[in-house]
Amino acid sequence: MFVDILLSAILITGFLMIAAKRIGAIIKGFISQSLILFLLTLLLAYKSHSVELYVVAGLLFVVKVILIPHFLSRIVKKIKVDENLGLFLNPTVSIFVALFFVYLSYIFTDKIVCVEEGIEHGAFSVSLSVILMGMFIMIFRMKAIAQIVGLLVTENGLFLAAASVSGGMPFFVEIAVFFDIFLCVIILELFVYKINKAFTHIDVHRLNGLKG
Amino acid sequence: MDIPICIGQTLLLMLFAPLVSGIIKKIKNNLRMRIGASVFQPYYNLAKLFAKEEVVSHNASWIFRVTPFIVLASSISALLLVPAFVSRISLNSMGDLLLIVFVLALGRFFLALAGLDTGSAFGGMGSSREMFISSLIEPVAVMSIFVVSLNAHSTNPQIISSMPVVAFSSIIAATSLFFVIIAETSRIPVDNQETHLELTMVHEAMVLEYSGRSLALIEIASYIKQIVFFSLIASVIFPWGISSGISIDSLLISIGAYCMKITILCVFISVLEVSAAKMRLFRVVDFASIAFVLSVLGVIISSMGR
Repeated sequence: MFVDILLSAILITGFLMIAAKRIGAIIKGFISQSLILFLLTLLLAYKSHSVELYVVAGLLFVVKVILIPHFLSRIVKKIKVDENLGLFLNPTVSIFVALFFVYLSYIFTDKIVCVEEGIEHGAFSVSLSVILMGMFIMIFRMKAIAQIVGLLVTENGLFLAAASVSGGMPFFVEIAVFFDIFLCVIILELFVYKINKAFTHIDVHRLNGLKG
Repeated sequence: MDIPICIGQTLLLMLFAPLVSGIIKKIKNNLRMRIGASVFQPYYNLAKLFAKEEVVSHNASWIFRVTPFIVLASSISALLLVPAFVSRISLNSMGDLLLIVFVLALGRFFLALAGLDTGSAFGGMGSSREMFISSLIEPVAVMSIFVVSLNAHSTNPQIISSMPVVAFSSIIAATSLFFVIIAETSRIPVDNQETHLELTMVHEAMVLEYSGRSLALIEIASYIKQIVFFSLIASVIFPWGISSGISIDSLLISIGAYCMKITILCVFISVLEVSAAKMRLFRVVDFASIAFVLSVLGVIISSMGR
């Protein structure tokens, strides 16, 4: 029951992030999605009595709810770009596309992935749709910040998929992934900073033209 | 035995409907670090309005006079159809969940007419805005009712509220119904109940011409409408603890569970109202489209059998 509520909350935060028009809103959406994912991991840990999952949940909270959003808001503050995310598709069309993603992942889970009835099925479909939503954010938003957030959302989906199908990845893999993600965000932050310094904007689609 | 219980439940809910608004206001004020008015303030306001003299414009027709009664009657008849404490109510042979939406739409129609009736600029503006918002929000309400009906294979509230488990799609339907509550009870991202600032009024502009007893009736009607929608989430979609029989024990448990669910909803709404800013009128379209997509999502997942 509580698992279902948290899963639907993850799906809904995904939709809200896709509908977001501003950088601040998409970062807030990411924070709330990570927070819900943390609660879900905590619930799974409580159910399976595994100490490793508790540690993973703690890491998730520290890295994804506190550190990464902190770095993201710092870079937003530092480069002083305007708040607009820059949309290739407007919010309404975007969320209909996201609706199609959810449909696809449900069909995929129903027809192709043979997991047994119940929680696993729902969690796997939700994680697939979150992965697709993250990719959508990466492709259809102009500002480089959105690319970082999209990557993180995809990672959230992968984490959920691993947790739902096999009860989490091996412990050391999990730690390594968190470390990777954290370093990745720091490097990307530096990258965005340099792009902004060289081009005075961070619009990805304008990087195609030569600077002269 | 069923009919007295149904009527008793309706009377009890009518009595406590203003209290819900009082509690929401109190929580909001406490969140803003203020003391705020007592939770019984809506009752004092109603008592004051009933004691006051009523002023009716010379240009007003019979529609203006008859509207408060129609609005109140439509709200009460919607309340009669909703199960709150007892899932087995006899009046559900009179209509199903879809009827609730349309009975409430009748009241809104007359309220919009009354706003236009006196010919004041604000009334007409309020009516047009209210119709704009309701035309966007009503499909969402109907779609989320479809979701729970698909899960229970019936639109009868009695059968839906005696479902043993809450399906995944019903939770998503509850979320989109929450969006509907915000729009229908004129809460902050869509409308603001607290202000009478001309540019942002929607519901308040429509009832601006009313005073005294008529205004009190309209306010009671909107409190009842609010509790109808709350009960839809608290007792139809999440029927935890709802009593199917009429023994004293199960009734007490179900009343306690109902109060708890309503309080949780009040907390959600107050936190949202304090943390969000009011949207521009044309951003309401985005708001409604998110709610609509969520309800369609519920229908899709429900048709997959989850």
